[in-house]
Amino acid sequence: VTLHDDSRARVPIVATGASVLTPLADDVAALVAALRDGKSSLAPAADLGGADASRFSAFDATRYANVRGMRVYNRATQMGICAARLALNDAGLGVEGGAPLDGLQLGIVTASTFGHIDTLLEYDRNLITLGVQRTNPTLMPLGLPSAPGAAIALAFGAKAFSVTLSDGGASGLGAIGLGARLLAHGRARYCVVVSAFTLAAELIASAKAAGMLAPAGELHVLDRRAQGTAFGEAAAAIVLERADDARARDKAPKGFVRAHAATFAGSSARRADALARACRNALAGSRVEPAQVALASTSANGVPAVDRAEAHALLAALGDSAARTPLTALKGNVGDSMDTSGVLQALCAFEALRSGVAMPIARFEEPAVAGLRYLAQPAELAPGCALLTSTSDSGACSALVLATRHD
Amino acid sequence: MTRRVAITGCGVVTAAGAELDAFWRALMDGTCFIKPLRGFTAPDMQDLVGAAVELPAADALPAGTDSDPRRARCVELALAASRRAFADAGIAGVYDGGRVGVAFGTTMGEERQIADLSERVAAGGAASVDAGFLMRSNNQRLAALIAEQHDLGGPVFLTATACSSGNAAIGAAYDLIASGEADAMVAGGADTFTRLIYCGFTRMSALSKGVCKPFDKQRDGVSFGEGAGVIVLEDLERARRRGARVYAELAGYGISNDAHHITAPGPNGDGFVRAMRQAMEQTGVALEQVSYVSAHGTGTPYNDLGECQAMQAVFGEHGKHVPISSIKSMIGHTNGAASAIEAVVCALALQHQALPPTAGLSDPEADFGLDFVPNKGRPARVETCFSLAAGFGGHNVCLVLKKVA
Repeated sequence: VTLHDDSRARVPIVATGASVLTPLADDVAALVAALRDGKSSLAPAADLGGADASRFSAFDATRYANVRGMRVYNRATQMGICAARLALNDAGLGVEGGAPLDGLQLGIVTASTFGHIDTLLEYDRNLITLGVQRTNPTLMPLGLPSAPGAAIALAFGAKAFSVTLSDGGASGLGAIGLGARLLAHGRARYCVVVSAFTLAAELIASAKAAGMLAPAGELHVLDRRAQGTAFGEAAAAIVLERADDARARDKAPKGFVRAHAATFAGSSARRADALARACRNALAGSRVEPAQVALASTSANGVPAVDRAEAHALLAALGDSAARTPLTALKGNVGDSMDTSGVLQALCAFEALRSGVAMPIARFEEPAVAGLRYLAQPAELAPGCALLTSTSDSGACSALVLATRHD
Repeated sequence: MTRRVAITGCGVVTAAGAELDAFWRALMDGTCFIKPLRGFTAPDMQDLVGAAVELPAADALPAGTDSDPRRARCVELALAASRRAFADAGIAGVYDGGRVGVAFGTTMGEERQIADLSERVAAGGAASVDAGFLMRSNNQRLAALIAEQHDLGGPVFLTATACSSGNAAIGAAYDLIASGEADAMVAGGADTFTRLIYCGFTRMSALSKGVCKPFDKQRDGVSFGEGAGVIVLEDLERARRRGARVYAELAGYGISNDAHHITAPGPNGDGFVRAMRQAMEQTGVALEQVSYVSAHGTGTPYNDLGECQAMQAVFGEHGKHVPISSIKSMIGHTNGAASAIEAVVCALALQHQALPPTAGLSDPEADFGLDFVPNKGRPARVETCFSLAAGFGGHNVCLVLKKVA
């Protein structure tokens, strides 16, 4: 939603509900507190070849949601349903004593590239080993990439729309942009943007074979010592609505989605330029100057090429403001949760803007790219906006501008 | 202000051909391409039928894209259709590549990567997982490889709404151009035969025992096809200024969700009704202005019934004067590609002022008094088309295409 020349898209969009499910915490404030304290949920996982991973072992769907048919869904779908329920509850929408929720006015945007993959793998393994007639047929529709989103929409009777965005690490911010755009165009009154990422052994094994994983205990983000990433389970959801609608029901917003912009560069050598362009477009779309950016939050994950692209993009986009704009990244604490990371970034950014304190980059010592204000400790924030960035391995780049006010 | 959006390029790869003229002629003749399949099998299943694509050599997968072209079939189809649409639009070098993006949809996308891995792991154990699997099994690469093929740097994304994915992608692309976020978009969908789909539909008793017969009283399920459809969308005013051929205006779309069941469509075609009504609200098109509805028309008892009920609910008595047909009767159900191919068909219907038929119709569903354009295409005055699509999970999208004076 770059808002510059579409009168419909100038409709202010606010976030009114939020939720997270991570091993560190299952509410946003507690997660941000843990991040400020530098806590980490990463630990070696024996079943993943000893690689570090952040696993939400304590997750129990029945603790968070009582949804019919929950047991047939895979872990990612269950986490997504639970996150959506918590976010709707936080928004005061029809879950636990809130305003009645009109399903015709509820849309779902799901950021999910691999949320279906363990079901698909299981179905396919069963076809090979058991044959068609002995393979559980209910797994088939749940093996579609759109299935987690469809199940979430079904759980909450969301009849306005249900769209899944499968853009890897860029999905989360893209999904927020898509949800805001659909609301601005009047296609629903409320939109839950939701994402869940779980640890599929085949994906982790492939990442390990590709040399993407950091040695155990050595995940360093944006740091000169960076040598790979670690994956982390997480789910997050955010409820968006038009500011007028939130005001009409006396719901105070957590903040505004000011603008989203997306670009692409297949070549990793051009990734920084493309992401810088997305940042500039998002800033222009939100009518925000680089000097007004109070916080930058990146999707840097410890893979040196990814981190360098994010850092160089911010240097280019923020210009003279780069050296004084606090910069954070959360994957050093909770691992890379791919599609979900962008939603987590957004929720943490809203909380940082609200509290005026930014969380640091875990275990940060020395930058890989100089010229930015990397936060090794929590820092107070000046009033302003947050600029969020993310990229996918395929080359999609996304930038999102959030604020606590709509100017 | 909202910009108007033009369709200036079309590309298809289907069982009915990849050249637009031949494709259109085959459809108008009512030729059915659903045949016994060679080269694709599924466990425990014999005598599979489907509408397979025979790609011209020029459309083969570029060297280096994947070491196994069979495994990367979906990518191959997507790249071929986009290359054809891009050339058809004559758009190369016209725009700043940073303002041109790709919106692509798929139902199963790279499922064959999963099947390939399953077989390798079954034979060689967990060590068979290779470094490229993470990247190859990511459906976003369909959109990404198209963008790389044409050196595009605008918004590039992959939508998944099951078998309405093509329309969902086209709708999202429309929004980006209408709002000024992009100048042009390459949009569409692709899917190939997958064993998940064949085996799953067999167990659900939703696979036709012969050839699908949409809107026929004897219909007994789906026949599948493979393929890809891509359209090039541009700001209408800029397209006119550059002298581009404009097939149609994409006037907008409607979207809805059933939230009813993970596979079964909602009751009474309610989701289709809401998608069509929203499409009319968003575009200002009155029901009397609708000349043709390209149906989802899969040939399953429930889908086709719901679509007929939706036509009745939206159009009332006027529905008898609105032809509706399903090209799936000829090229099979191509899943996430279907609605994108059908968008191309609507653009061609507007260009040729003719309607494609529902083939194989011998005993039409008569209760609703609808005109299914039986068996042969025919000339018609075509001003405005609806292109309807639905997907597992209840995802409905209705595109509105209009003739441009």
